[in-house]
Amino acid sequence: MVQSILATTALESELMAASVLGPKHGRGKRSITADLLLTALIDAFSILVIFLLMSFSSTGEVLFINKSTELPKSGQADMLERQPVVKIEENQIFLENKPLAGGDQLFQALLFMKKQMAEERPDQESPTIVTVQADRRITYKFLNQVVVACAQAGFSDIRFAVLMK
Amino acid sequence: MHGRKKHLDFDLNLVPFIDLLSVCICFLLITAVWLNIGSINVKQAVGGQSVAETEKKPLIWVLLGEKGDLVLDVKAGGKLPAKMLKLKVPPTAEGKFDLPGLATLLADMKTIEPNLRTALIHPKATTTYEDIIDLMDQFKKAGLADLGVVPL
Repeated sequence: MVQSILATTALESELMAASVLGPKHGRGKRSITADLLLTALIDAFSILVIFLLMSFSSTGEVLFINKSTELPKSGQADMLERQPVVKIEENQIFLENKPLAGGDQLFQALLFMKKQMAEERPDQESPTIVTVQADRRITYKFLNQVVVACAQAGFSDIRFAVLMK
Repeated sequence: MHGRKKHLDFDLNLVPFIDLLSVCICFLLITAVWLNIGSINVKQAVGGQSVAETEKKPLIWVLLGEKGDLVLDVKAGGKLPAKMLKLKVPPTAEGKFDLPGLATLLADMKTIEPNLRTALIHPKATTTYEDIIDLMDQFKKAGLADLGVVPL
C-alpha cells in the first residue's frame, strides 16, 4: 500500500517520537495512538484570523454608548470622526460626558469649549463640527434644544451618530 | 559504494504557527468593535450672508405632519413643472411616513432637476429622532446630500 508523505511524516514526527503513548513494543497489539490532524485546526484558525482582520476597525472607539441608548440605523452614513460629542441620555444633555441642565447651559459650554480650543491652538480654525449621540426614540422637541444651541454657538455642522445598516 | 541517502522528508514544526494564530485571534477578538457607528451630516444654516448675495439653488422644504403625512415644497425649482413644486405624500396604512413613495417622488424630481441637492426637514415637536434619520436616509439615497433640520 502506498502511503502519503503526510502520513509518513506524521508518524515520524518529533511529536510522535516523544509521545508516551507511542507503542514501541508489542507490534501485534492494536495501536492506541491518536493522530491529531493539525491541518483542519490551522485552516479554522486562519479563517478566523482573516475574518477578524476584515472586520477590524482601526478608527478606534469614538463613542461610548450606554446600554439604555439605541442609536437609529442608517444605510447612508459616513465615517464617524472624533469631534466634540453632545450626548442625550435619559432626558439629560451631556457635553463630553459632563452633565448639563439644558439647551442654555449647552450653548454656554460650547462657547467656552470653542474659546478654550482657540486659546490652545490659535493657528487652527475654530471648530464647527459636533457629534450628536441620542436615543432613536426621543422626540424632536428635546433634540431641538441641542440643534439650536449648537447652531447658535457656531457649530453649524452637526453629525448625528447612527448605526450603519 | 554509495553513502546512505539523505532523507528528503522533514518535519514542519506547526506549534509556533498555532501559537501565533492563537495570539492573533485573542488580540483581534478583544479589540474587535462589533457596532459599526457612522454619522449623518447635517449643515445648519448660520446667517452670515445676506439673502441677495445667496445663490438661488433649488431646495425642498419637507414638512412633517403629525400623522405620518409629508409635504414637499420646492423653492427655486428650476426645470421642475409647476405640479411638482408642492407635493403631498400620504401616510401608510399604519400611520407612518411612506418612505418608498417618497423615494419614487424624489427620483422623479432628481431626473428632471439634477441640481436639486438640498433638503430642509421641518419636523414637528412630536416627531421621533428615528423618523427624522429615516427621512434623511431616503434623501441621501436619492442624491440630496445637503440636508438641514429646521428648529421649532
